[in-house]
Parts: sequence; C-alpha cells; structure tokens
Amino acid sequence: MSQKEQNKVSLGRLIAPSRVLMADEYPGKKELIEALVQAVCRDCPQLDPAYVASQVLKREEGISTTLDTGLAIPHARLEELTDFAAAVAVLRRPIVPTAENELPIRVMFLFLSPAKPTFFQQHLQILSALAEKFKPEFIEELVSLKDAQEIAARLAR
Amino acid sequence: MKNASETSAGSSRVKKVVVLTTAMLTFIPFWKAAAVVLCDFGSSAFYAGGIAMRAFGPAFPWYILAVMLFSGLLLMLELEACSLFVRGGAYKIVREGLGDTAAKLAASALIFDFILTGPISAVTAGHYLCGLINSFFELAGFGLELPESVVSVAFGMLVTLYFWRQNVKGIEESSSKSAKIIAFSLAVCFLLAIWSFITIALHGAHLPPTELHFSREALGWAGHIDWMQTIGLVGMIMAFGHSVLALSGIETLSQVYREIEYPKAINLKKAAWLIFGFALLFTGGLTFLSAVIIPPDLIATKYYDNLLSGLAMSLAGPNFLKLLMQAMIVVCGVAMLSGAVNTSLIGSNALMNRIAEDGILTDWFRKIHRRYGTTYHIIHLIAAVQLVVILLSRGNVYLLGEAYAFGVMWCFVFEVSAIIRLRWKKAAQKRDFMFPLNIKYENYYIPVGLILLCGALLTVALVNLTTKQVATVAGLGFTAFLFAVFSLSERLNAKRANTMFEEGYRERINAETVDDLKEAFADLDRPHRILVAVKDPENLYHLGEVLSNVNADDTDVIVLYCKPVENVLYRQDMRSAAVDEQEVFTAVIFMAEKYGLPVTPVLVHSNDAYYAIAQAASVADAEEVVMGVSGRYGANPQIERAVMIWGAVKDRELKHPVTLRILWEGREVSYRFTRGNSPI
Repeated sequence: MSQKEQNKVSLGRLIAPSRVLMADEYPGKKELIEALVQAVCRDCPQLDPAYVASQVLKREEGISTTLDTGLAIPHARLEELTDFAAAVAVLRRPIVPTAENELPIRVMFLFLSPAKPTFFQQHLQILSALAEKFKPEFIEELVSLKDAQEIAARLAR
Repeated sequence: MKNASETSAGSSRVKKVVVLTTAMLTFIPFWKAAAVVLCDFGSSAFYAGGIAMRAFGPAFPWYILAVMLFSGLLLMLELEACSLFVRGGAYKIVREGLGDTAAKLAASALIFDFILTGPISAVTAGHYLCGLINSFFELAGFGLELPESVVSVAFGMLVTLYFWRQNVKGIEESSSKSAKIIAFSLAVCFLLAIWSFITIALHGAHLPPTELHFSREALGWAGHIDWMQTIGLVGMIMAFGHSVLALSGIETLSQVYREIEYPKAINLKKAAWLIFGFALLFTGGLTFLSAVIIPPDLIATKYYDNLLSGLAMSLAGPNFLKLLMQAMIVVCGVAMLSGAVNTSLIGSNALMNRIAEDGILTDWFRKIHRRYGTTYHIIHLIAAVQLVVILLSRGNVYLLGEAYAFGVMWCFVFEVSAIIRLRWKKAAQKRDFMFPLNIKYENYYIPVGLILLCGALLTVALVNLTTKQVATVAGLGFTAFLFAVFSLSERLNAKRANTMFEEGYRERINAETVDDLKEAFADLDRPHRILVAVKDPENLYHLGEVLSNVNADDTDVIVLYCKPVENVLYRQDMRSAAVDEQEVFTAVIFMAEKYGLPVTPVLVHSNDAYYAIAQAASVADAEEVVMGVSGRYGANPQIERAVMIWGAVKDRELKHPVTLRILWEGREVSYRFTRGNSPI
C-alpha cells in the first residue's frame, strides 16, 4: 500500500451511523456542536465532553468555520487524541444565522484531530477535502436521505 | 472551462474588482535612471564653461573639471542619502536629521535653484539655436543676424510654456526618451572629441592657463575685502564657487532613485558611476577641449553663451561639415536643455508637494486638477515665476548663472549636515552605502569624510555669499520670502497640518474597475505568479519576504487587498481609491520601490477575504499564495479557514501544486495543495 493510501482517512470509518445526527431543525449552532461532541465522546472515553465542547466553541470564536455552501466544520486539536474523530449532523431546515456575518448551516461536520504537530498537515488536508466534497449538490443529496444509516452509507461510499 | 470565480461556491463573494495603477510601479534599469539625471545634470555643459570664463577668465576649464570631480563626492552623498530610504529627497532627509526649520530653509533655497534651472536652460537653448541660425546665415552669405537675446527669450518662454502645459496634464517624464537623448549626446560628444583631437594634432594647442582674472562683477563684495585677494587659496575657492553651477541637476538622482529596479543599491551605484563618468567626459572634457581649441578672445566675445557651438565652428575642416557638427550639438543641446526645463518644473512641483503633504502649505496649493489630477496651482506658480525670470534676464545667461548655485550649495550643506546627524540618530539603520572615511566607535561610524565634505561645501557656500552678489541678494531674498510663506501657511494650516501629519504620505493611485478577476490579470505575462494578500499597512513582513526572494524575471507578484463590504448595491467607477486602500497600497508601493520590483496591485470588494483570495489565486493561476499573520486570530485558524475555502471554490484538477504560506517574523505555516491527493 502506498504512503498516500496509508494516509487516507475513510469517512465510513470516521462516521459510523451512531455519529450521524439527523434533525428537522436545531435551536442553534452551540447546541448542535454540543450534541455532536456527545456523539463522539460516547465512543472515546478518554475525552471529556465538556472540555471538548469548550475547545471547539473557543475555536468558533475565532475565524468562522462555516462555508457558504451550508457546511460548517467546527473543529479542535486535542492532546487526548491519537487519531482523527468526527460526527456529522444533517439538518432538513438550516440553522438560521443569529449574527449578520454568519451563514445558514445545512450540514455540520464536527472534526477532532490529534494535537501532535505531525498530524497538522493531514488535519488541513482533511479540512480542505471536506469543503471540496460537501458541495451544495452533495449536501442536497444528504438532506434528501431517509436516516442516519443511509447518510453513513453514503459518506462511506 | 469554468474558473473558480464562476463556481457556485463563493461566487457572490467578490463584488467588485479594481486594478490599481501608479507610475511608481514601473522600474527602470540603472542606465535609464542615469540618463534621466544626465539630461539635467549633463545640460550644464552647454553653459557652465561660458559663464565661468566670463567670471574669472581662461582658467575656467580647470575649475569645471574640478567641479565635475567634486560631483563624484556629491553623488556618494546622494548614495548614502538614498540608502536611508527616506522618501522625498533632500527636504525629507534634512527634516529627519535637522528638524522642520532647517528642512523649510533647505527646501526654500532648493526651490530657488529649481526655478532658475528652467530659465537658464531654456535661454541657453535659445542661444544655441540662434547661434546655429546665424552661422547658417553667415555661411550662406545672407548678411542677416538674428538678435540672440530676443530669440533666446522667445525660445525660452516657448519651451517653458510647453512644459508648463505638459506638467499640468501630468505627462510623466519618459526615461526611454532621456536614454535616447543621452545616447545621441554621447555619439556627438565622441565625434566632437575625435575631431577636436585631430584639430589639436593639426594646429597644435596649449593647456589653458591657471591664472585667475576675476571680472569686477565676479569679485562681488570680495572686491572690497583686501585680504581675500591676497590669499591664493581664497581665489581658487572663489573660482570654484563660480563654477559650481555645473552641478545643476545632480540632485535629480534622489528623485529618480524610487524608480530604479532591483537590485536597487547595486543599480544605484552603477547609475552614479555612469553619471560621474559621463559628466566628467561630457561637461568636463568638452569644456576643456573648448578652452584649448577656441581662441580665448572668441570665447569672450562670441561664444560665451554657446561654448560648444564655438568648439564646433573652431574645428579644422570645411565649413559645411563644421556647420553640420554645430547643428548636431544644437539638437543635442536643445533636447538636453529642454529636458532640464521640464525637470526643473517636475522637481520644484514634487518638492512643493512634499512640503504640502506635511501640512505646511494651505489647501490652495494642493488643489488637484479636476481632469488631470495634478497639483496645477503649484505648477502655474512655478511656471509664472520662471517666465518672469526669463523676461527679466533679457536673455543674459551670465546673469542667470550668477544668480544660480546659492540654493544648490546651501541645500547640500543642510543635506550633508543632516546625514551626519543621522549617523547618530539612526545608527542602527542598515545602510547599503556609507560615504567613505569612517571611524568605527562602539555602535557608531564617525563620518570623517562627511565632516570634511561639509566643511568644503560650507566654505564654498560662504565664499559665494561674498562673491556672487546676485545669487546672495536674490537667493537670500527668495529663500526668506518662501520660508516666510511656509511658516505663515503652516501656522494658518496648523490644525489641518496635524491631521495630515498623522495620515502620512499617500501615493497617488489610479483605480480602474474591471468586469472580473480574469480581466484584472489579463496583462500578466510571466510564467509564474505569486499572490500576496495584504490587509494592514503596518504588517507587510510577508510581502517583504516575497520581494526579497522572488525572481522577478519569471514571476508576477500580485498584491491583493480585499476590502470588506457588506453589500454593494451600485457599481460605479472609482476615479481615485478611497483613503484606507490608499494607505495600504502606499505602504505596498513603498515596499515595491524599496526592492525595485514591480507588483500588480488589485483591490477587490468582498464580504469574505478568504473566498476572494482563493478565487483570485485560482483565476490568476498562482503557484503560491502568501498571507501575513493575523494578530487577532493567529496563523493556524487562518490557514484552516484558507484551506477550507480553497476546497470549497475548487472544482477542477489543479494544473500545478499551489502552496499557501502564512509568514511572520522568521516563522511560517504552510500547506501545499497537490493534484488528486484527497485524503478522504
């Protein structure tokens, strides 16, 4: 297997059906992030959900992680992780922005990376690839799917 | 093929694209820069010898030669002044070193000489032209002789009016035209020198005498001071003082420095050497040959106002060939002298503008021409004074020459004093060049050479005060008047001055709205491109890094400023960029000038800078995108946002890898986008 292949991160492995949230609507961005953090932390006992949520929300206070395709990628780099972890939420009705400079969110992809500097380039690569993959057509497709199983299967493809 | 700006993601982010242009983004090679200076500095060859001859007799070529050798020291002074990179020439250097009052005095004195350079050059050109016509009439046996003073005044006024109009229109000096004039002058000089040596070989010659015979006017007040006439060295200084008008135009080097291409310091030195060599041969050499070949009585009676024509007409050979040679000299003289008229208008206008930018002059002076965007009130004023001076001179070049050199000498005294002071005040600043003869003491370089130069300049300037009566009376009067105007104007303008001082200098930038990013980059023709995103004029470290490492021969550097907008409802052409982008791009242009490398400044109005940067980089096909670090967010969140946006706008395979870099003080975070390496 080539180095490139070895470095590949399977979305199917990252997003098990248990890490997919599907909802008609959500009250706000913060609540959705907390829900996704809970979904990840269920399978990662080394992570403290409150701490993880605080790290992700702290990062959100900086430069926005929402794209105008409707995808938000809240993320954090954590010392406790040795591998990437993620969870995704697909919303039938977008989260309406509360501030003037915010964008509506249709899909939120919570992405957690190990804090070790050696993972940073891959962290950036994945962020870029996610933004590329979740184009408006793909998001529409995800929104049209029936349940978490289908979404996870679609992401794994 | 769809490009990124047309994709759905982020397509609405770039609202408006503006390409910015300024004359300062074109850089010229050292030889063109030297040509621009020589068109002014070299033109004194046409009148300096004649004026010196009338002042102190046939020993004049020795002193013109000495002044040309001395010009080498002044060029070295300019090299150190330029290496400090204080924008605004002597005025700003003096302000930095000695403060506002000294700067105002130096500027007032320099403007006096700038104003005189125009008339002296224009009237001399008229004399050369008239001399040629009269030579032709004489050879053709027409029995006609045009009155030189009338023709020279009329021609001088015409030339001044022509360049006044050009300057109001804001037509920039062409360095290519200057280079052609200098190339032609060099050819004429070469021909004239060869022919002169043949004449010397045929007729024999003697070296010019060294004894000084001052005219009564040339002694000035010194004629009443007995001890001054008994010391030989004083006489030599007096003669030197009457010859320093040959330095006219040397200060142009500090104006042209901004335009010299990379590597700036090396090219500036090359330009200085070229100027020195040319001036020594052209002004010094031809003046010397004139004194050797033209009989002294003919210089004194016929050729004092057009010495080089006299040289042509005194050569050995048939008359028609001599007339042809004279015609060539006149063409070259008229071109160089007219160029000097233009430079005098440009120089004085630029100097008045620098003063106005400091808030010293009232708004009336800074008023911009509605159509041409030039400071036309200043130009009108300078041209009007020059026309009056031409009329008052009645074509008398000697009178103009006697009035000249007050400003240039005192301005140099101030400038060298300021540079000495800056050796202490700005001891830590790196200098690409230092005037020779320095003693290192702790962190300082004690400028022994500069102190000696200052002493020499001060001595000549003080002696000139006693001998050059016209220059002293007119120079002191004009300087005092202008200084009073500046001081009064500054007081009246005090509030505004403070605001302008805080705002600092703004580069004049033309802005042209284009339809899209593709059009903005249509003129880029180098195979590689680097896009540098800028935001804060105080944070351009990354641009400096790019400019210090880029190969400008094969790489275009695009400097993109994304102006944040919420909404753009109306598209309307901007005639001039608004204040904030002017501040950003003034700093960008200043840096481009410092490195002598061209950049393409582009302004986009966007409600997301990261989208705009990604789109611009994609449309420009940039191989590298460089950003400065944000003090608010830090480099990591910045690069995370940038890679996400890049992924969102990307909808095609990359033609080549693209590197995204965030640079700050010696550190870097980067990411390389490569083809088909999706990690998921």
